[in-house]
Amino acid sequence: MGEQQIIVRTKLGEYLVRKDLLYTAKDEWVRIEGDVVTLGITDYAQKKLKYIVNVELPEVGKKVGVDDAVATLESVKAVAEVYTPVEGDVIEVNEELTEKPDLINTDPYGRGWIVKLRVSGIDKNKLLSPEDYADKISKE
Amino acid sequence: MPKIVKEVPLLNVQRELGGNVGEFAGWLTSMDYGNPLEEHVNTRTSVSVFDVSHMGRYVIKGKRVFEFLQKLVSKDLGDVGVGRMSGPVLLMNENAGIRDDIMLYNVGEDLWLAVVNAPNVEKDLEWMNAWRVKWGYTDVEIENVTLKSSLIAVQGPKAAEVMEGLGFGEAKDLKILEFAYGAEVTGRKTVLVSHSGWTGEEVRSFGFEIWTDVDHGAEILRKSVALGAKPAGLIARDTLRLEMGYLLIGQDMDENTNPIEARYWLPISLEKEDCVGCPKLREIYERGVSRIRVGLKLKKGLRIIPRHGTGIYAGNNLVGRVTSGAFSPYLNAGIAMGYVSVTHAYIGSRLDLDVRGGRQKAKIVDFPLI
Repeated sequence: MGEQQIIVRTKLGEYLVRKDLLYTAKDEWVRIEGDVVTLGITDYAQKKLKYIVNVELPEVGKKVGVDDAVATLESVKAVAEVYTPVEGDVIEVNEELTEKPDLINTDPYGRGWIVKLRVSGIDKNKLLSPEDYADKISKE
Repeated sequence: MPKIVKEVPLLNVQRELGGNVGEFAGWLTSMDYGNPLEEHVNTRTSVSVFDVSHMGRYVIKGKRVFEFLQKLVSKDLGDVGVGRMSGPVLLMNENAGIRDDIMLYNVGEDLWLAVVNAPNVEKDLEWMNAWRVKWGYTDVEIENVTLKSSLIAVQGPKAAEVMEGLGFGEAKDLKILEFAYGAEVTGRKTVLVSHSGWTGEEVRSFGFEIWTDVDHGAEILRKSVALGAKPAGLIARDTLRLEMGYLLIGQDMDENTNPIEARYWLPISLEKEDCVGCPKLREIYERGVSRIRVGLKLKKGLRIIPRHGTGIYAGNNLVGRVTSGAFSPYLNAGIAMGYVSVTHAYIGSRLDLDVRGGRQKAKIVDFPLI
């Protein structure tokens, strides 16, 4: 996996950016598989939020538009909304987070995924490449 | 003005122990070591070690040091014997507004030490020096030794075992707020070891603080962990103190807050006449206050954290604001403290918190919250 990720080091810490995902300027990651988009928050975002104690997930079937909040994360430090960069229908939510919200901290790109959306199209101009995202967070 | 952020002297040791670094009061230090809720519970049930070197440390000396401090702070220091800490005392302004709560150590007639809050290290020094000059205590000297020393807190019911492992088993014989000046830990001389902390040691646990030089602090931090103490960060420290109802400067009290409405009785002596803010404090006490600090508990199992500034309502009437909130892993509930109008401060009643546009019931409770 080593070559599949970028490690960003700043004076505050180290952040992993996976090369097989795309990113938003608001620190979400997206995985695109056909017409299904999986959404989560980045390692950088979870480290900023610190330990997450609660996740409010949307209803399956809900229609969401670009930049809509799809989930709310409550951490020991702050409350944060998770925004979707794409329009679509919520087809699955990560129920495991209800019991173990800290999966977002321990495995942000894996078991800490948040929602899956079925989309009709994606405007990739709204998304950042792993390199651009790494560059953005390196300037914190 | 660019923001100056300093690294605590032991930041590298914290990182080596797994610390997740963040900023507090202009310092880079560890917020947690992976799971602050576990660190909290571990402090209540076993033993944790905190690097609290971000707190300010002063050496205050001179022939008339007692007289000077007695005029400066809110509490009568007459009962603070040699080898004893004062407990929290306040630096008040002349309106009895709280500038800081600090801890004083009576080492001997010419020598006192102080620990002050991190955001106020420079501010308190300026304040103390201004009064020192104004009152003509030219023989008293105040030295800020924060950057050339460290402060390590070993906290929890098994803290005495760690102290024994560190070679200072005598720690267990120290009474609360007693300190051993120049105690030897790991075979090296410290400034002092005290029976104190900010986690609720007098009620729920048992803790010690070690004030020593930077290198020795690093050794103690590493050895404590090797002896079984788990490293813990500022988030756990914050949730632990909130469960106890301890106030955080800048958040739960400031210069616009007086000790009466804060119900901060421990650091004040109402009968004391001659100190900065004392006459006004007496006046406020006699007149009464319009708002009062209370504890708040949310429904068990609900993982909602009230935040600083959250509105507190009786129906549609805004009656107060939250100043600190946290999720208590001990109670499995959101907890908070805040100020409410005295007309609505009924212990045991329920008020509504405005949480992200929705209302959440919170019960007014007394401190400590556990």
